[in-house]
Amino acid sequence: MKAAKFKYVAPRSLEEALGHLGSDPDAKVLSGGQSLMPLLAMRLAAPSVLVDLQHVPGLNAIEDIDNAVRIGARVTHRAVEHSELVARRVPILSLAARHIAHPQIRSRGTFGGSTAHADPSGEWPTVLLAVGATMHLQGAAGRRDVHADDFFVGPFTSSMEPAEILTQVSVPATWDRWSFQEAAVKAGDYGLALVAAVASVENDTITDARVSVGAAVGSVTRLREVEQLLIGAAPDLNTAERAARVATDSVKPISDIHGSSDYRRNLVGSLVKRAIVELKNGA
Amino acid sequence: MKTVEKHQHMDTPEIAARSVGARVLRSEDPRLLSGRGQFIADIELPGQLHVAFVRSPVAHARITHIDLSAVRDAEGVHLAWSGADAAQFCEGLVGEFAVEGCNPTTMPLLATDEVLYVGEPIAVVVAETRYAAEDACELLDWDFEELPAVVNADAAAAGVGVANPQLPDNFGLRGGASFGDVAGAFEQAHQIVEGRFYTCRVSAAPMETRGVIADYEWASKSLRVWSNTQMPHFLRYMLTAYLGFPEQNVEVITPDTGGGFGQKAHVYPEEMLLPLLAREVDRPVKWIEDRRENLMAGAHAHEQYVDIAYALDATGKITAVRTHALGDGGAYHAPPWSMAVEPWCAVVMTPTGLYDAPAAEYTYAAVATNKTPVGAYRGVGYMAGTFARECLADEAARATGMSPFEFRRHNVVPEFPWTNPQGIVYDEGSWRESIDVLESMVDYPAFLQRQAELRAQGRYIGLGLSFFVESSGESTAGSQEHGLGDVYHDTATVRLSPNGTAHVTIGLSAQGQGLATTMAQMAADTLGVRVEDVIVETARSTSHAYGSGTIGSRGAVIAGGAVSRAAGVVREKIRAVAANLLEAAVDDVDLVDGNASVKGAPDTSISIAEVATAIYFDMSSWPEDFDPVLEATQAYDTARAMFSNGAHAMVVELDPETGFVRFEKVFSVEDCGTVINPNIVEGQIRGGVVQGIGASVFEELAYDESGQLLTTTFLDYGIPTMDVSPPFEIHHIETPSKHSASGVKGMGESGLIAAPAAVLNAVNDALTPFGVVLRELPLSPEKIRAAMSGATESAAPQVVAP
Ligand SMILES: Cc1cc2nc3c(=O)[nH]c(=O)nc-3n(C[C@H](O)[C@H](O)[C@H](O)COP(=O)(O)OP(=O)(O)OC[C@H]3O[C@@H](n4cnc5c(N)ncnc54)[C@H](O)[C@@H]3O)c2cc1C
Repeated sequence: MKAAKFKYVAPRSLEEALGHLGSDPDAKVLSGGQSLMPLLAMRLAAPSVLVDLQHVPGLNAIEDIDNAVRIGARVTHRAVEHSELVARRVPILSLAARHIAHPQIRSRGTFGGSTAHADPSGEWPTVLLAVGATMHLQGAAGRRDVHADDFFVGPFTSSMEPAEILTQVSVPATWDRWSFQEAAVKAGDYGLALVAAVASVENDTITDARVSVGAAVGSVTRLREVEQLLIGAAPDLNTAERAARVATDSVKPISDIHGSSDYRRNLVGSLVKRAIVELKNGA
Repeated sequence: MKTVEKHQHMDTPEIAARSVGARVLRSEDPRLLSGRGQFIADIELPGQLHVAFVRSPVAHARITHIDLSAVRDAEGVHLAWSGADAAQFCEGLVGEFAVEGCNPTTMPLLATDEVLYVGEPIAVVVAETRYAAEDACELLDWDFEELPAVVNADAAAAGVGVANPQLPDNFGLRGGASFGDVAGAFEQAHQIVEGRFYTCRVSAAPMETRGVIADYEWASKSLRVWSNTQMPHFLRYMLTAYLGFPEQNVEVITPDTGGGFGQKAHVYPEEMLLPLLAREVDRPVKWIEDRRENLMAGAHAHEQYVDIAYALDATGKITAVRTHALGDGGAYHAPPWSMAVEPWCAVVMTPTGLYDAPAAEYTYAAVATNKTPVGAYRGVGYMAGTFARECLADEAARATGMSPFEFRRHNVVPEFPWTNPQGIVYDEGSWRESIDVLESMVDYPAFLQRQAELRAQGRYIGLGLSFFVESSGESTAGSQEHGLGDVYHDTATVRLSPNGTAHVTIGLSAQGQGLATTMAQMAADTLGVRVEDVIVETARSTSHAYGSGTIGSRGAVIAGGAVSRAAGVVREKIRAVAANLLEAAVDDVDLVDGNASVKGAPDTSISIAEVATAIYFDMSSWPEDFDPVLEATQAYDTARAMFSNGAHAMVVELDPETGFVRFEKVFSVEDCGTVINPNIVEGQIRGGVVQGIGASVFEELAYDESGQLLTTTFLDYGIPTMDVSPPFEIHHIETPSKHSASGVKGMGESGLIAAPAAVLNAVNDALTPFGVVLRELPLSPEKIRAAMSGATESAAPQVVAP
């Protein structure tokens, strides 16, 4: 389990980093390395050059901007977990961060790395899809923003171009209620199913909601039927139970050695129910 | 059964316990816990080269073409071999077991004609770095023709396909025996309870993987091999027997080892190849197994089916037990043991347990499949056998309307010595007492009440019991008692220095059990010195004491016996000189707490340090004809088989939505005779039980239908972690053995032996309202959830009228 040969560069600016990516189609960005290095070690990936972002300025901040919290791509999971700003403005991130791997890995793995990796079992992709985050990308040609709905396009696949760099993610802070649910066999394991749910509530009626599922599915997915059911309903146990049934019927889960699709279908239903119950309780 | 003749090396001195029994802190810990251990990967020899293996990506195939030229031409490569190259030096390792019905196999060092399992080594590369070696491995030019893979034990037994051409009917082992009127008992039974239990395939998954370094010096023809083996002396013997390295020129070195658990108690092709490669390239060569290799090619464990049945009379007493075990052995017998270790051990060692069954019958079979060979793992065979027996005991309790404690009390052996139907003699034990003690620890009535209250709220907790009898101190006598002919002994050397401190060497390598601490306690009490004044070197090299291996819960008993015998010789020297100096009779001199004193006259005393100094530097202190050597090497083996016993009770809660099992509490009772060090015994219990939790719920080496191994990283192979480890309450009972030094018995395996039955019984207890009984491991979330949602088919417990 040793990587094939590769070159390593640690550019000092975004332009320089983009230059490396532009000049070599087999170059790859290195952030925390917690997903990329295992792929290299198992020889499932063999990039020609790793472009390490650790010395690129401007990627390490967590900022309070209008109606959103903007998180730099190089911010570690651990920093998100412990950020007071995050806990206050977008608490679903604090809830989810604790489920990512173990403290050692959270100390190295990064918000941007996980988002770019688009792992269907990733906590960040699931949460970012639910909250409707915006990804800020930089390419040689310039900047562009991509909404989460258009960003996670398949298993381990995003709509980023190979020569683009994810610089920040803006997480809307405008939702009233949040819930994150994960079923993992042991603390630190990838979940068998993840559910993230957010809602706006007025006079005890849900006016807007987004619900996403991760891990149990081939790529992070919105549960649109569940969202439709929620909008206009009261955030109560009855709604939660109906939402669970709709989730169970509409989700298209995967099967693997850790659980069949039938098992995961029911699990997603249970988590959706727990999430909606928590939406009700949260304020 | 035969018993061994008594020999002088089976007698140990009688010593009053001083540090034995105390919670002495482990002397190893400051070094190991602060990162100062030196493990095999830490060892760097000048000029060393690195080794990597090409391993089969398929379960069963015929190699039609293999060409190493691109590999040999790759940058940094010094040597590359395929099976044909290795076969010139060694045809392979023979695996067999000296019991009725064993068909041996020969495992090639590198596959030649056929590959028989995913992970089997096909070629080996020696290069400047491990990176270069792995780069070159990718250049191997080979073709193969896939053959049908045999991946299921029942299919293999039915003769569907041939997994290994050396075993045309797939049977590596088949036999059985019957004792007493078993058929009659089953005919006349009031009730028969029976079930088929499955223990899934797992890995011991030691924290440190395997590793070998070999260094050959041509001028002196000397070979040094570093290996984290549990059996360094045996490996040395094998290097001579198979490869012809002269034994006197071979040294096997065992550095700090991060867990072995039986997986490292084998002799592997890698250990044979590295010395040959080192001689060929004339440079030291090093191979450190990576986790993927460890999960593919380190011995697998456990996989077997045990069919067990009790004939019960009208009062619920067991009148006979029938056991049939079918092991899924993998592609070869894993040398030096075999496929027998699982099914044979299960049926021969465990069916009666602590129950007074007057008749017993067993059959055992192991079949080859296209999977990794199955070998030893902590309590090998005992786990599956105990699992089947103890789970059936709970089912029998339900069938007879008794509580699980009551059923066991009703059937427990009433007095000792007890001879089981096979003729195995159990000299002593606290079998009945352990039932009573566990019942009061658990507070059974309170548990039942809490269980009922929680059920009313839709919460499901369960209590599971598991009682064990563990053969301990693997010995010649123990081997004969079980119908084998293995001969074992260990030696230890004890030396007293002029300042009265002691240096001890034992023949066992340590894998983290704290042997250096417990052996210091044994030596200290025999010599009468403080435990801090004793330093113990475990077998870091075969140039020290001799040992038959750190296996079979033998460390405390066997090394302890050897240490106490060797210390006993030195003790007599000290007493002789002390008697001379104190002008007392030798028989009146006692050695305690660092002093030699005269019995009945405590003021007449001299420190042991002074006596030692006198022996080295003052000849006038010597009695007549005194030989001043303060060093002794002695051997030890037990005169009789000995057995420890105990039990675990496990409380679990099941989540009906996720199917997850939460472990709430473990209650353990352990009787390993005299406890040398409660901390270490409790550590062994905790570690073993948590491994048992892993083997029951979280772990499974999964294969698909084509024989592909699906669990090759810890992402997919789940080992238990601290967050699933429950709190423990541990109670010690001490029923000393009359035959071991200080009365100690071995206990290193009991946690894993017994925990899985406690887990399954607890889960089944929690499942009672759902009318489902599970019998197969692992208890995956999916299985539990299905059981709780009425989706499991085999719902009704199997209680059959005769
Ligand atoms: C034992 C273990 C357990 C884990 N458990 C979990 C878990 O439970 N949940 C979970 O979500 N994750 C888990 N992870 C993964 C971990 O969270 C990683 O940190 C994360 O997936 C990737 O982040 P990284 O910073 O390490 O990225 P890297 O590994 O450096 O990169 C990942 C990928 O993203 C690309 N990339 C990285 N940054 C950028 C960027 N700014 N712009 C464009 N492309 C970029 C890289 O080229 C690469 O393809 C685990 C990892 C380990 C080793």
